[in-house]
Formats: sequence, C-alpha cells, structure tokens
Amino acid sequence: MKKLFVLLIVAILTMNLFGCSQTTEASGEDLLEESWESILQEAEGTEVSFYGWGGSQRTNDWIDNFLAVRLKEEYNITLNRVPMNIDEVLNKLLGEKQMNVMGTTDVVWINGENFYTAKTNDLLFGPFTHKLPNFNQYIDADSVEVKYDFGFPVEGYEAPYGKAQFVMVYDEARVEAIPQNHKELMELVKNNPGQFTYPAPPDFTGSAFIRNIIYDIVGYEQFVNMEADKEAIAKEIQPAMDYLKELKPYLWRRGETYPATIAQLHNMYADKEVFMTMGYNPNEAAGKIATGEFPETTNTFVFENGTIGNTHFLAIPENAPNKAGALAVIDFILTVEAQASKYDPNTWGDLPVLDNARLNAEEREVFSNIQIGKGALPQDVLLEHRVPEMPANLVPIIEEIWMENIL
Amino acid sequence: MKKKSNFFAIIMHITILLLIAPLLILVVWSFSRSWSWPYLLPQEFGLRGIMHVLHPSSRALKNLLFSIRLSMIVTIITLIISIPAAKALGVYNFKGKGFFKVLVLAPIIVPPVAVAMGIHLTFIRLGIANTFIGVVLVHLIPCLPYGIRILTNVFEIVGESMEQQAKVLGANPIQIFLHITLPLIAPGLISAGSLVFIVSFSQYFLTFLIGGGRIITFPMMMFPYIQSGDRMMASSYSLVFILATLVVLVIMEKAIKSYYGTKNYFYL
Repeated sequence: MKKLFVLLIVAILTMNLFGCSQTTEASGEDLLEESWESILQEAEGTEVSFYGWGGSQRTNDWIDNFLAVRLKEEYNITLNRVPMNIDEVLNKLLGEKQMNVMGTTDVVWINGENFYTAKTNDLLFGPFTHKLPNFNQYIDADSVEVKYDFGFPVEGYEAPYGKAQFVMVYDEARVEAIPQNHKELMELVKNNPGQFTYPAPPDFTGSAFIRNIIYDIVGYEQFVNMEADKEAIAKEIQPAMDYLKELKPYLWRRGETYPATIAQLHNMYADKEVFMTMGYNPNEAAGKIATGEFPETTNTFVFENGTIGNTHFLAIPENAPNKAGALAVIDFILTVEAQASKYDPNTWGDLPVLDNARLNAEEREVFSNIQIGKGALPQDVLLEHRVPEMPANLVPIIEEIWMENIL
Repeated sequence: MKKKSNFFAIIMHITILLLIAPLLILVVWSFSRSWSWPYLLPQEFGLRGIMHVLHPSSRALKNLLFSIRLSMIVTIITLIISIPAAKALGVYNFKGKGFFKVLVLAPIIVPPVAVAMGIHLTFIRLGIANTFIGVVLVHLIPCLPYGIRILTNVFEIVGESMEQQAKVLGANPIQIFLHITLPLIAPGLISAGSLVFIVSFSQYFLTFLIGGGRIITFPMMMFPYIQSGDRMMASSYSLVFILATLVVLVIMEKAIKSYYGTKNYFYL
C-alpha cells in the first residue's frame, strides 16, 4: 500500500514535468496595428520591467530618480529596474523561447553582438520604432548610426537610447602633451615606460582601443563591407599588430600582463599606478571626477583622425508581458526632456540621440544650456571626430588575432 | 611553559588581525572618495556609497529586508527537512547508509551552475520560474547538504537513548520531539541554521536565473558594483551585507537559546 502510494506520487511529479507547458498567445502583432492613443491607454497604470547593466551608480540613479519618477507622473507606469548583464538576459530569453512561454522582460538595453544574437534567434519584437511618435519626430531614421548597429541592420527592432564614443582619459598633472595619433602615443609611452596599458580583450573597452589603433594606422573604410575571413583580416591589420608588439615592452609591467577589465584599469588610474585610462563613455571621466574617484586634473582627448563611436539601443523581447508599456517607456526616453536630462553630466552624461536638425530653436537651447562637466569634451568636438564601429562579426576575430600575436 | 603560551597568544593575535584587517579596509573604502598611491590613508572622505544604499529610491534597504525574509524562510524549510533526514543518517542503521551520506553532499560536489539551466526549464514548465516559491525551492539545493550534515553529526552524538527513555515513560512521539529531541539538538540547530542562512543569503546565480529579475535580492544589487569596480559602492553594499548577516545570526542564536534555555553542551 505504502509502496503504491510512493509510486503514485513519483508518477504525478514526473507527469508534471512533461505535461503542462503553458503557451502564450502572440498579442504583439495586433498591438502594432492599434493607434498610439490606444497603446498609451493600455500602458496606463501598468508595470514595466527594464533589464540592463547595473554597474554604474549614475546610470542607475538616472533611471530610478528621473525616468521612473517621470513615467509615474506622465503615464502612471511603475518602472521596475532589474540590474542584469546582457548575456544573462539573452540566456534567459533563449530558455524561455525554447519553452515558448511568457517572459518577464519588457524593455532590454542592448547593442552590437548581443543585438545580432537576439535578432538572428528571433528573440525580439518588432519592427516597432515606426510606431513611436517621438522616434518619427526627432530621430533621423536614415542616419547610419540608427540604421545599423555594429554594421548589422536594425530594421526597426530597437530604438536608439544614447550614444557613446571612445575617448582617452589622462591626468594633466602627469602627461605633458596629449598624443594626437598613434605615433605620438608610441613616443609618449616609450618616454614613460610602465605608465600606460590597456585592458586585454575580450574586455569591451580594451577591444575598442585595439580597433581604434587599427583605424588610426590602416583606416576604417575597408572594414565596413569586409567578410568575416580571418586570414584577410589578419593581413589587413598586420601593421597595427606590429605597432602593438612594439608598444608592448613599454607598457605597465612590461606588457607581461594586462588588466582584465576596464574597471581594473580605472582603479589603477585612480590609484595613480598609470597616467592614462580610456572609456567608451565620453562623460564617464567627468562623472568620476564628480564622485571623487578620479583626480581633479583628469581630462579627456580623442585622436585627430577620430575615435570609434556607437549607439546603444532599447529593444522589446518577443515574449514581453507588457509590450504597450514598453513602447510608452521607450517613446518617453526619446523626448527632449529625457534626452536632455540624460545628457546632463550631473545625472548620467550620456550623449543624446536626437537629430539636431529636427529640433526647434527652443529645444536646441535646452541642450546647449547644459554645462558639460569638467574633464568632458563638448558634443560637437566628439561628433567631428567620430568614426563608425566595425561589423559585429569582425570584432571576435580581431580579438582572437590579438590573443595569438600579442598576449 | 610561559614562553609557549606567549607564542600561542602571538599566533592567535596575528590570525585575528589577518581576519579583521580586510574588513577594516572595507569600512575605510565605504567612506573614501579617493585613496591613491602613495598615501597610507584616503585623502578625501565622502558619503556617496552609504547615502545611495540608505536612500529609498535605490530600494537597497527594501531589497535587504526582502532578502532576509527569503533566507529565513529557506532556513526554516531546510531545518524542517534536515531534522528527520539527519536523524535517520545519524541514529539508524540501514543498508547503503554510507552511500546516502555522500549522496546528500551531491549539490555541493556538483556545482549548481551545471544543473541550474535544466532546473530553470523544468521550473518554467511547472510555472514556478520567476516566483518566490521557485526561488525558495532552488535555494534549498545548496542549503540542504549543510543542514543535513551538521545535524547528522549532532544526532550521532546525542543518540536515541533519551528519546527511548521518554517513550518508556509513556510520552507520545510529538511530546518526545518537542520536549526531548528539539532541546537536545538546539545548539546544533543554531549552527546549522546560521550556516544555511548565510548560504542562502549570498546566493547570486541561482536567484538570478530562477527569479528572472522578478525576485531581486540584495546580492543582485551588490554584484554589478563589484564587477564594475566602483570600490566605494561595492564596499558600502558589502558592509551593509555583513552587518545584516551578523545581526540576523545574533538574533537567531539568542532566540533559540532563550527559548530552550540551552547551555553549551557542545558547540559545533
């Protein structure tokens, strides 16, 4: 009797595992047919889960103290910020897709390779950007930076959130003259051995530094349409690899080891172990001066031939439970008010994505009135020295070549 | 003789210093704006980290209380499951006992990460992914081995003779459990409970995967700062983390001790 009972329980439990898989109805497609007013009506009073990287206090504070508060006032939307790394979000979405169930993620902060992965695996909802009034009004949909994300066509599956650009960060008290190009950088480093280094790829910023050196030495046009063929790339970037090899013995600890993450390099710079660091957010240094992490004498510069810039985006997963709310949130982020507040170095200091030509005089003034922080470059200097990212699929190949040749 | 005890005293003090010093650095970093070479002490102090943790908009304290509640529930369930299992392993003799003793440790030997993806899929099927129950269940996996192993040792020492005596005198099983077994194993419950609480409280990956962002615990807010290298924020969070754990453990120990009036028969 007892045995039978145990068997029965085991059977029920196993049935459970194979039995009921809930499926979700695809409500998304109809949503895009609805008018914007009815989408807003649907979004009113709902909760939206915003998934993204949570490692920056300033970014987190902007979302918590500005975005969440204003969304509550405007649409009575409760914004639930979830600090989660993008690869974990993708894993979660892939798992959910396999089971074909409703997810928990409404908005996800994404770009580059991860967008490529998400879109090629059909994890994203869209195309949705044409539905957003602010996208249609303020965004130049034909610009390269909105149309392509690391060379991969966006096709309306993600809306621009902000812009980033690679900058070099240095301490004015210890670096006499800023290098204008790779040659001057080599000279500077040779004269000050052990004072410079860069994070080893696959760190995002270290990888961007290497691409920047490649651009500075061999130019960037040929990479835009290049096939992801390792031999061809290796041949093309050989001069840059030679350069990095020459640089290596003059790096921190003679180049025998590299900081593994940009965070380590930042901390080494803050501790005055090296005299330069770098970043993919042009206002990060200004922010770190404000928080006291970096010395007051910190400043930033770009190479005369330009540095790499990219756009970061917001997307909606295919299985998002509250797509209407997600659309309302993304649309709100594209307002002048939100973009200006985000640009303000006192909050986050992220470059705006709105097209200057589409702003009226009043709106333009909102942006020009914002005082950029100490240690940051003005927006027009950055935009003049901005070159596009390489196609996403070349990036891991270059990192591989670096590891084989330099490390 | 005197010399020898001096020697041990020195060793002991050095050991304590080595344990405490890293914690002190954590305290200093929580309040340091910048602390660069070649200075021995930070030149500038600030409250950015602590203010952020304490400010209601960061929801850090709210999530801290939630985490404590979650881990308390996990601890209680773990102990409820562990007591009978540990008694069986500690007191009774049966075939394959040695095997089961090792099997209980399996969740520690096999890293949870390896099986977590499968568990996640199963939980999605069962509809308990992204729920509180799901997270409690998944926390039991790394917690149970500690609970069962510690209590097994306790039962091995305590044995069954007291309970048999009560039975002879006519007590029913519930009376025996409440008045004999529980007071006897109370010190073991404290150690097992403390360890289980800590294991559950510091879970990051499992909470992340099964909670899916619906369940946000304190470590989930702390980790991004450690990863991004913001030492002030990371230290502030860690400090609050350690203090919260200590307070909970002290309260737990006091509560159990005062309830059972336990003296230290043995301490594990």
